[in-house]
Amino acid sequence: MKFLYLSLSTFIALLALINPLRLEAADVTLLNVSYDPTRELYQDYNAAFAKYWKGKTGDNVTIKQSHGGSGKQARAIIDGLEADVATLALAYDVDQLSDKGKLIPKDWQKRLQHNSSPYTSTIVFLVRKGNPKKIKDWNDLVKPGISVITPNPKTSGGARWNYLAAWAYALKQNNNDEAKAKVFVGKLFKNVPVLDSGARGSTTTFVERGIGDVLLAWENEAFLAKKELGPDKVEIVVPSLSILAEPPVTVVDKVVDKRKTRKVAEAYLQYLYSEEGQEIAAKNYYRPTLESVAKKYEAQFPKVSLITIDDVFGGWAKAQKTHFSDGGVFDQIYGAR
Amino acid sequence: MSFKKTLLGSLLISGGIITSPATAFANDSSELEQLRALVQELDQKVRVLDRKSEIASEEAAAAKKTAPVLVAGDKGFGLKSADGNFEFKLRGLLQADKRTFFDADESQGRDEYLLRRVRPTFEGTVFGKYDFRFTPDFAPGTPNIQDAYINARFLPWFKVQAGKFKVPVSLERLQSGSDLRFVERSYVANSLLPNRDVGVQIHGDLLEGKVNYAVGVFDGTADGGSNSSNTDNNIDKDYAARIFVEPFKGSDSALSGLGFGLAGTTADWSGPISEANHNYRTPGQQTFFQYHSSVNADGKQTRLSPQFYYYTGPFGVIGEYARVKHDVSRGSRSETLSHDAWQLAASWVLTGEDNSFKSITPKQAFDIDKGGWGAWEIALRYSEIDLDDDTFEGAAGVRFANASSTTDKAQSWAGGVNWYLNKNVKLQTTYEHTNFSSGVAGADDREDEKVLFSRFQVAF
Repeated sequence: MKFLYLSLSTFIALLALINPLRLEAADVTLLNVSYDPTRELYQDYNAAFAKYWKGKTGDNVTIKQSHGGSGKQARAIIDGLEADVATLALAYDVDQLSDKGKLIPKDWQKRLQHNSSPYTSTIVFLVRKGNPKKIKDWNDLVKPGISVITPNPKTSGGARWNYLAAWAYALKQNNNDEAKAKVFVGKLFKNVPVLDSGARGSTTTFVERGIGDVLLAWENEAFLAKKELGPDKVEIVVPSLSILAEPPVTVVDKVVDKRKTRKVAEAYLQYLYSEEGQEIAAKNYYRPTLESVAKKYEAQFPKVSLITIDDVFGGWAKAQKTHFSDGGVFDQIYGAR
Repeated sequence: MSFKKTLLGSLLISGGIITSPATAFANDSSELEQLRALVQELDQKVRVLDRKSEIASEEAAAAKKTAPVLVAGDKGFGLKSADGNFEFKLRGLLQADKRTFFDADESQGRDEYLLRRVRPTFEGTVFGKYDFRFTPDFAPGTPNIQDAYINARFLPWFKVQAGKFKVPVSLERLQSGSDLRFVERSYVANSLLPNRDVGVQIHGDLLEGKVNYAVGVFDGTADGGSNSSNTDNNIDKDYAARIFVEPFKGSDSALSGLGFGLAGTTADWSGPISEANHNYRTPGQQTFFQYHSSVNADGKQTRLSPQFYYYTGPFGVIGEYARVKHDVSRGSRSETLSHDAWQLAASWVLTGEDNSFKSITPKQAFDIDKGGWGAWEIALRYSEIDLDDDTFEGAAGVRFANASSTTDKAQSWAGGVNWYLNKNVKLQTTYEHTNFSSGVAGADDREDEKVLFSRFQVAF
């Protein structure tokens, strides 16, 4: 019987050896689960990274993309969508991968430069050609008869940035009076006729369906819409104050370890910080963090006074709990419509 | 959209823009501006309604993707989560048989109607990788558990299965009871190689499914039998292993349907062999050999089985050989008995469907109204079993065979016609003729067995 045990053990050990050899094939596939407006950015970036990786290692890497509202995407990953990397709209959604999914470590944000945000953006207004409703700043959005398009903050990261930027403006205008800010944002959402689940859906509502006077949009999304439609259709309006949006990126540790893709997934994110990665981000209207590239594209991005989530709201966890959790301020505002 | 056009049309008409009174205020720019604003406002409202409807449709479509799916089809009935990670299925097998013995007295077999298999199967998957299956059988007088196991599919090449299930040895046994080309299996599976046992096995597929392997440890069970007591009858365990290769699987080669392999079991066992209840049966399921109750298992018990099948187009052939060795003793006499059996069976689907190790799927289901005739198949099999001559050596007081077991060799020819009315319903008939040779000096050969089997089966 000892011989049989030995044979069995040897057989299993041999099988275990066969497997890693097979997994280390030259063709690797990654899944990048991202938020709505990054489609074009990652189409360009994926091609560049695949070329870079092929040159560096000889391996062929194919990156699949999945896009949707940032909150929905985070839930999908927690529910089992096997994302090698998550490139979401805000840190709170990535935190959920750690807190609820136990898929990444708590200190994930320290693993890459700039709090793991290789590029930044902000929120601007997209209005129709000639700005017929004369919209200049946030206070114009609460006027009667103004139709505002923004997605649902419960599902969209971009929408949460929009909401908080409006809130920050109202606080500034009202000496940090939270009650007045609530009334202000409540009025704004009374002017929102339809809530999409993601930023790209809202762009469709505004641009393709012709609904609304103003779209609250990611800066890159607004530039892209203007580029696609032409300056004779829409205009960008930069408000007096906006918010510094820092979309973070992370490898999903449990997935990359299971799929043996950690090395290429980490390189994929690290390359976002390279000169080529930053150039691609800038060309897609994301604000680069690498100084040399930022300087090169300085003229492309309007100067705007930016507040940060930490300064005004005490960080994402607090902002999420106060405003967007079930029964939070947004539910009170929107439910009371 | 038509709603929008209608609304806009109504608006324009009610606003007087396209009716003759329009001229009455055509020059009134203020009213015209008001009307334009009104049209724009209403146009926005219609657009918002359209968009909300569009979003609702998108959300409904998205919700549908995450809603559990109710499944009802020829593979059973069940419920499946949208991501496929959780599944529950109800399947079933019901076989109503008639056995007719020719030229036989009652001791050789009684004509009878019987339920051969009544097996509901509850099976499913949790967390995408962990399968379970529970199959009782209500056909025997006392219902029993046929299968009850968990199978963890960690990797295609590394799966772990535990519980009660088919021991990975006999090719014919591994073919589902609903897919058999003859009503009863041959001596290889029915008499010599093990059926179901309680244990654990590691198994999987290598090289894109071209190689299948299984190694397992089991309580141990009788030749041709199942572990029905859910207990072990000795301290040592039975070890089973099987490797099966289909070198051309998935290719365009004419040999793509060729598979061959080797399987076996080994065990150490000392104790009354009657506890194993080895029970060799004729095709008509009549016992023709048992050991004497005084015989002890006394050392190695091994089984070895080379096996193959080949399917191409409507033709199929399956063959299997088994050798069983028992170290036995009775009183002061010890022997290693070696029993052999083999079978070779061929089948041809007359209606042209592809033959396979599994069941036949008719191109057209039987339907009197529409003219479909299902699939028809003919099959032919030769099988024999040859027991060690030493089994019958000596006087009755020292012989290993019991007093009523005198046959040392049986040879059977079987011919069958199978009618697959559809994927789930089959009518099956098999005629099998067996002649027996006595191994005991002076004892007559057992009378030939001529038996006609008829079966009506539903399997889903």
